[in-house]
Amino acid sequence: MADSNALVSLSQFARTASGADLAIVVEVQTDGRVAWSTGSPVTSFSGFNLARSGMLEHAWNDQPVDASRFRLPTSILTALGGPAGSVLFIPAPSDDAPSSGLLLLWKTGASPEQCAASMALLGPSVAQLLSARRGAVHDIVVRNQFIDLVESVPAGIVLVDGDGLGTVINQRAAELLGQKPGRHRAVDLVAPMRALRQRCDNHEALEQAYAAQVGNLNFATTLHWVMGERTFEVDTHPVRGDGEQGRIWLFTDITADLLMAAELRRLASSDPLTGVPNRRHFEERSAQIIAAREATGRSVAVLMLDVDHFKKINDIHGHPIGDEVLKVVARRCRETLRERDLFARFGGEEFIALLAAPTADEVPATAERLRNAISGAPVHVGGLRIDVTVSVGGAMGEALPGSDARLLEQLVARADEALYQAKADGRNRVRMSG
Amino acid sequence: MGSLERFNGRRSGAGKPIAVLSHGFGTDQNAWSALRPWFEQRFEVISFDLAGSGPRGTETYDFERHGSLAGYADDLLDILDEQDVQSCTYIGHSMSGMIGALASIARPELFERMVLIGASPRYLDDDGYTGGFKPDDLENLFDSMSANYQAWVAGFAPMVVGVDDSEVIADFSNALFRMRPDIALNTSRTIFTSDVRALAAQVSRPVHLVQTSVDVAVPVAVSHWLAQAIEGATLDIIEASGHLPHMTAPDEMTRILQQRLDRTAR
Repeated sequence: MADSNALVSLSQFARTASGADLAIVVEVQTDGRVAWSTGSPVTSFSGFNLARSGMLEHAWNDQPVDASRFRLPTSILTALGGPAGSVLFIPAPSDDAPSSGLLLLWKTGASPEQCAASMALLGPSVAQLLSARRGAVHDIVVRNQFIDLVESVPAGIVLVDGDGLGTVINQRAAELLGQKPGRHRAVDLVAPMRALRQRCDNHEALEQAYAAQVGNLNFATTLHWVMGERTFEVDTHPVRGDGEQGRIWLFTDITADLLMAAELRRLASSDPLTGVPNRRHFEERSAQIIAAREATGRSVAVLMLDVDHFKKINDIHGHPIGDEVLKVVARRCRETLRERDLFARFGGEEFIALLAAPTADEVPATAERLRNAISGAPVHVGGLRIDVTVSVGGAMGEALPGSDARLLEQLVARADEALYQAKADGRNRVRMSG
Repeated sequence: MGSLERFNGRRSGAGKPIAVLSHGFGTDQNAWSALRPWFEQRFEVISFDLAGSGPRGTETYDFERHGSLAGYADDLLDILDEQDVQSCTYIGHSMSGMIGALASIARPELFERMVLIGASPRYLDDDGYTGGFKPDDLENLFDSMSANYQAWVAGFAPMVVGVDDSEVIADFSNALFRMRPDIALNTSRTIFTSDVRALAAQVSRPVHLVQTSVDVAVPVAVSHWLAQAIEGATLDIIEASGHLPHMTAPDEMTRILQQRLDRTAR
């Protein structure tokens, strides 16, 4: 650093001119601790304390003093290479370090006094250089802290200066923009920012949202930038520095968060054994479907399906086999139904389907297809070949305005009754509610 | 807080001449347990933990101040000044040998005489000087210290103790474990890279050197160098191995102390 080099030269000059054996510039904190030093012929050493030395209290008048009047720290003695004979301190109070100065030491006796007297002229230069050095060190520390901070945030950061000319981007933002991290001219980042936006699946919506804010210095918003499988939450808001208005862009990759949220929703609405929706999801979703049908007065149908003699399958083969049978039943049913039909595990070995807008003859036909899908081929599981059948009960109704949740209740109750009838009539058959 | 309190110091036996016991690297003032009774019969004893050692080690250590032995010497002088000690018999082991030597050059009047056990002014070999270590040895030492401190202690402790004394090895290991590893590493760098030969030769107070015949940290040649460099210094070599004779050979140490100190202490 330029200032410390100048201080080395200055102490070399002072030592040569005064005939001293050691010249050191010491930056002394208010508690007497030497925070930094440089000198001639030794280089930097610090951490020693001058508070007890008696030197800081002495009224220096440019005259070397017998060193035995002071308690010099051992560090100084080590640097000098032995005990000191005379010492002269030239105070150079600098910002935040009022006890700083230039220290001249002679191993033996006093020095040429006329030369020592002129040394006092160096005081202001030492003080000025020490202040400049402190300022420079402070700036470096602050800059390093800023860089550490910016790089420690798990987000891409684009920080536009208040004057709109300079921009700093961190490593993550640099990767997104295909640029080098660090300082850039703001104009040089306009094109990469636009290119990034245009790569987004939703770039039209983004262009619209941002275009509406052109010229608004207080513009603050958070939008999702969707890039294929990855989604970034992009927050931009003004930042104030030096009384001028800068702007920050924060890019946070929320892909994992979104996937997690979707997975949690799926887990909450599906049956863990068979993977088809659970009863709660069925009820929520069918209420929505019925509500959507109400205006048009179109029909809906419910099919209840129950595995025949399921308890016997469990008793003979054990629960793990029983579970596998339920999985196969669920899969075959799902494959038999149309995409838009809702199918769920209702509980135990009971399943339920909601057929949206079927015609009158479609309902028993679908029920028959379901029955056939199960009984048509034995279930192969764990090397076993198990014949499985189901009984199906169906009910149909019209989604009239105001029928709401009660329609579903009624359909489920009627389908359940029909199912009971199918069981009573000998199982492996379909019965429709009158 | 005063310096003696800061360095966990103890002072006992008012009214008698003062002895200051300063331990070496890797131990704390408990290293003096075996010799303490002997001293307490004859002296008012001041002991303390060096910066970086003992229960307060983390608070007392300053990476800048204690980057040189001079910082420790200043700590010692602070304690003596604050305790208003006008004159003392100083006993320093290992790194405290040169700490005391530096302090005695700064303030000769405070040191009536000094006993330096296993002291060395320079650990690296040099032209015409046998320090016992080569630069590569030290780099290996620092590397293994920073790679796995626990494993390093397990190997280093028995080597330095030098004799099969499981109790001393355990004490020494435990004191090392209590040091924060980064402080221990920096301290060993400060010690092993120090060269205070020019200053050691300026010690003007009576010095009694003690060392064992086989010491991994300090070859006998070092003690001979010091005995020659310091005017009037005596040298007692204990026919035993180990860097910690005050812990492993207390009887022999007592005999030497008796011979060197008793004549003048009474």
